[in-house]
Amino acid sequence: MNRQDLKTIIYAEKKKEETNKYKHKICVCCGAGCISSGSEEVMKKLQEEIKTRGLENEVEVIPTGCMGPCNQGPLMKFLPEYNIYQKVDCSNISAIVQSQLIEKKPIEDLLLFADSREKPFIDARDDPYFKKQLKIALKNCGHINPERIEDYLVHNGYLALDKVLFEMSPEEVIAEVKQSRIRGRGGAGYPAGLKWETVYKYVNDQKYVICNGDEGDPGAFMDRSVLEGNPHRVLEGMAIAGYAIGANKGYAYIRGEYPLAIKRFELAIKQAKKLGLLGNNILGTTFSFDVEVRIGAGAFVCGEETALIASIEGKRGTPRPRPPFPAESGLWGKPTLINNVETFAAISPIINNGGEWYSEIGTPKSAGTKVFALAGKINYAGLIEVPMGTTLREIVFDIGGGIQNGEDFKAAQTGGPSGGCIPAEHLDVKMDYESLVSLGSIMGSGGLIIMDKSSDMVDVARFFMEFCMDESCGKCVPCRVGTRMMHDLLQKICENKATQIDLDRLEELAVYVKETSLCGLGGSAPNPLLSTLRHFRQEYENRIVQHD
Amino acid sequence: MNTIPIIIDEKKLEVDPGKTILEVCRENEIEILTMCHLKGVLDIGACRLCLVEIEGINKLLSACTTKVAANMIIRTNTDRIKKYQRITTELFFAERNHVCAVCVANGKCELQDLGYKVGLDHIRYPHLFPQCEVDTSHPWYVMDHNRCIMCTRCVRVCNEVEGAHNWDVMNRGHQVRVISDFNSPWGESVTCTSCGKCLHACPTGAIWPKAIVQGQLQKNPGMINELVEKRKMKL
Repeated sequence: MNRQDLKTIIYAEKKKEETNKYKHKICVCCGAGCISSGSEEVMKKLQEEIKTRGLENEVEVIPTGCMGPCNQGPLMKFLPEYNIYQKVDCSNISAIVQSQLIEKKPIEDLLLFADSREKPFIDARDDPYFKKQLKIALKNCGHINPERIEDYLVHNGYLALDKVLFEMSPEEVIAEVKQSRIRGRGGAGYPAGLKWETVYKYVNDQKYVICNGDEGDPGAFMDRSVLEGNPHRVLEGMAIAGYAIGANKGYAYIRGEYPLAIKRFELAIKQAKKLGLLGNNILGTTFSFDVEVRIGAGAFVCGEETALIASIEGKRGTPRPRPPFPAESGLWGKPTLINNVETFAAISPIINNGGEWYSEIGTPKSAGTKVFALAGKINYAGLIEVPMGTTLREIVFDIGGGIQNGEDFKAAQTGGPSGGCIPAEHLDVKMDYESLVSLGSIMGSGGLIIMDKSSDMVDVARFFMEFCMDESCGKCVPCRVGTRMMHDLLQKICENKATQIDLDRLEELAVYVKETSLCGLGGSAPNPLLSTLRHFRQEYENRIVQHD
Repeated sequence: MNTIPIIIDEKKLEVDPGKTILEVCRENEIEILTMCHLKGVLDIGACRLCLVEIEGINKLLSACTTKVAANMIIRTNTDRIKKYQRITTELFFAERNHVCAVCVANGKCELQDLGYKVGLDHIRYPHLFPQCEVDTSHPWYVMDHNRCIMCTRCVRVCNEVEGAHNWDVMNRGHQVRVISDFNSPWGESVTCTSCGKCLHACPTGAIWPKAIVQGQLQKNPGMINELVEKRKMKL
């Protein structure tokens, strides 16, 4: 397929969309969250219902990726009215169809609703949950059928790839990404443009692009939702990166616990190859780029870039010391660009709208938007995307609809096992890289666990330490033995058996493990402990055995 | 070859670029403690004993895997580094069952030497006392996992020097174990050539020949590098 063919397809698909014979479109969320609460049966039942009523020429039913409030699933959205139904059950589909499509009015009692609000919003776009979000990476998630490349093409899919191949030099692409000031969304926040430029500068016949989809933080599912909801966006971002740095091969490393994401991503590769948007001589140019999926086997540490690379090479997934960084010597010793799923998902909008547009969103040091996975004691648990710099208060109370059962907010845990807890007095913290670090936490990949007073902070620290202890690869001593010792000490405190000496040793070990571990897993494993000690020290001291 | 200037512990040196900090220190009689390093096999930076401070880099880097660069200012013996070396040593001893008095390696053990060097008189952390296997299935050698410190010198020497790749690692975290083949008894290995290099590579009393008793172990870890060098000379 050449450039003209692509334009023709997009034109034809857009025409089809405009002259749409359907009066209504019903989107049923088929992300892994909603599927687990039965959305596939709902979809089937809905299609039967539409058929029995003879509405199939008026109503289009499509499966989509994640819509957001996962704990309210299965979700079903009626367009153009924008009525979203929550916890849809096969038994009330008939009633919903009757009311919505025949009587032309929604059933208010079944609409998306947070317990903290007085009544549901008829048009879901009025709900602060949607109103306060800004979706860039998740733009098409929940609107398009992720299993059809045509759906993506209609929404300007692959136009950015077309643009870079025909109108931009690799240097210009890198300059655009640099100008956007986007920082790596995997957690560490390294400027993506700088990374691209570094890999670009290493001269080598063979370079690689790797997409890190080995998301492993407890409670986090940003990458999963992007891969499930809009796999082509990630693929396009990878191809653009390949063009920019001079790579002809990409690997998407996706964790094995995400079968649906793997299935959809592999399907996306197949579809893109068929249309000549991937493979040899893309769109008739000299640029060739191929992507292969590699499936993780359940090790958290394989999200660390050097361990991930070892795993792709077929070796035991253990990190190695850096330098040399993968940009210089990565996969099979070749210069390698490795970015997170969410980073790649933001690339095509940056190319389409310009780096400057992206850089103006967010805060001066943290540009753009960030996807968070809200979990815990919050009314709307699920997936959100907000501009950097949005306060935690806005996220919890406006977007998240407040704490369940009207309880008080106690703390928010960011960054998973590498992050820390933010107490209530810092609810007005701006969610950006620097502000979170200054509170002893990190942005991380975007996990955000909300806790109320029922959470015991020492136990929270113990939980995350247990996680790190189990997930340590066992290569270096501080992480292998240090996390075990810290876990045992935390367990002792939880059992009210520890003394002040134990607490002192725990603190000393925490700093030791942080500073001496080989990789980021060990280096950040003490963070949940250190941050709870900083903000909730009293809870530790209350449990210390006092000797007279 | 052109040399580059670096400073290690206030000492001004002119060194060959391309060498690691550890190599330079050893050549200049600056002591760096190591456990997982074995001359002749690839370095992995796992024991974290050789960490050094480098001006301008906020992370501690392992001397065995970091190459020297011009004008590097390196410190190897600050209070912080000494403190961390001691903690690492304590963790080694607390992790498995190291009882020198009844160990074949008593007096010939690099872990024991390390204990003396860092002035270890007691261990502040509880001993974990894991139940580890002692594999006596090999006709000549014994693998005692109780004494293993997971330096993986045996794994590397078997793979890189002997080319057999009998040894590897399984499991994660504190559950890691060195395994023979796909975790079968050593005596049943189809890859082991019984060359005995792992025995010389082992810093502790984890791998030893049968028919010796406490303190009788003879080891020559230096032979590994001699072998590697001789092979390079194609003798």
